[in-house]
Amino acid sequence: MIGESELVALIEPLDAEALQRWIDLGWVLPHRDDEDLQFDIADVARVRLICELYYELRIEEDSMSVVLSLMDQLYAARRALGALASAVAAQPEGVRKRIAAVVDQNRNH
Amino acid sequence: MADPYQILGVSRGAKPDEIRKAYRALAKKNHPDLHPGDKAAEARFKEIASAYSIVGDEAKRALFDGGKIDGGGAEIHQVPPRSSYRQHAEGEPGFKYDRQWSGSGGGIDEDLFAELFGRGGRTNSSGADVNYTFSVPFTEAINGAKKRVVMGDGKALEISIPAGLKDGQILRLRGQGQPGQGGSEAGDALVEVHVEPHPAFRREGNDIHSVVPVTLGEALGGANVPVETVSGMVSLAVPKRSNSGTKLRLRGRGVPSKSGAGDQVVTLEIVLPAAPDDELIRSVVEWEAKHPYDPRKVPGA
Repeated sequence: MIGESELVALIEPLDAEALQRWIDLGWVLPHRDDEDLQFDIADVARVRLICELYYELRIEEDSMSVVLSLMDQLYAARRALGALASAVAAQPEGVRKRIAAVVDQNRNH
Repeated sequence: MADPYQILGVSRGAKPDEIRKAYRALAKKNHPDLHPGDKAAEARFKEIASAYSIVGDEAKRALFDGGKIDGGGAEIHQVPPRSSYRQHAEGEPGFKYDRQWSGSGGGIDEDLFAELFGRGGRTNSSGADVNYTFSVPFTEAINGAKKRVVMGDGKALEISIPAGLKDGQILRLRGQGQPGQGGSEAGDALVEVHVEPHPAFRREGNDIHSVVPVTLGEALGGANVPVETVSGMVSLAVPKRSNSGTKLRLRGRGVPSKSGAGDQVVTLEIVLPAAPDDELIRSVVEWEAKHPYDPRKVPGA
């Protein structure tokens, strides 16, 4: 976990004002420790990604909310799918084959 | 090694601007964090980033054009390994960024699994966030205020305006959005606050700017004049021989902030009496005949 000023110092194009705005917009969700903000390693990676999209690829603020929303939904969906896949993988072979057959059938229709 | 110009789809003579545009377009299409699981996109993105690191940089581009480095930029270019956002987004169970949009917390997870295991739809989902906008008077934004505001949809909110609030700032009121279902948390109210302009004050960062009229005598002879600040009236010492446009600083009379309050910057404006009489006109004109000066002359020109 690192604090706000450490994060701003760590990531090159980031300034405190932009970070505050992104937090206000709900793009970044730091942990709140009384008044202090704490960022974990996933928050840092996320801020880095937003910086890249915002400063390098010039995705504007309105579009960014849409991009992040879709991205978060995509990751949530992928994790759900991953959980399902490991549940299927834990089944006996006959069950797995039956599931695979039905999935194939549904995907091709 | 592949030709970086070819990778970016630009000609050898392309202007830096064209190269930047081409890079942005390709990077958006192939960014690995936006294309999870797409190995081809990830490989393309690496190629694009590497190509751009050469021809997007004037010095390296010149080296490449002169045959001093190859397309891989091996001599000077190494992409530092970075922790991809994807590792976290896909790796952590109960990842917090799942739940923030639309506030449903449902999305694919619950719906899909409910259908799968016959749990019968969503029974508990937290409420959606609701967006509001409203305006506050200039001085309330500077000094802070507590307000009860009824929004367009009839919702009454107790809003605490923090001192020094900026135009367009968004306040998050926890639990003031749509109610949750089945005992889940309510969403938040996101209130975008606009600051109304003030007839006398203008804000620049944490400083407040204003114009104060003074008489000819006050400007020349010096005086203490009353001045309105965002925190009430104060007395401003106008030094002798001040002029129209002279700027004076009232320390600490600006916008309050954690790192210390800003200042109020006062610009003096000499104002002649509404109806100057013959005595004033005669004495000034006679004085000027003896001491001519040209205020339109640029100093040092």
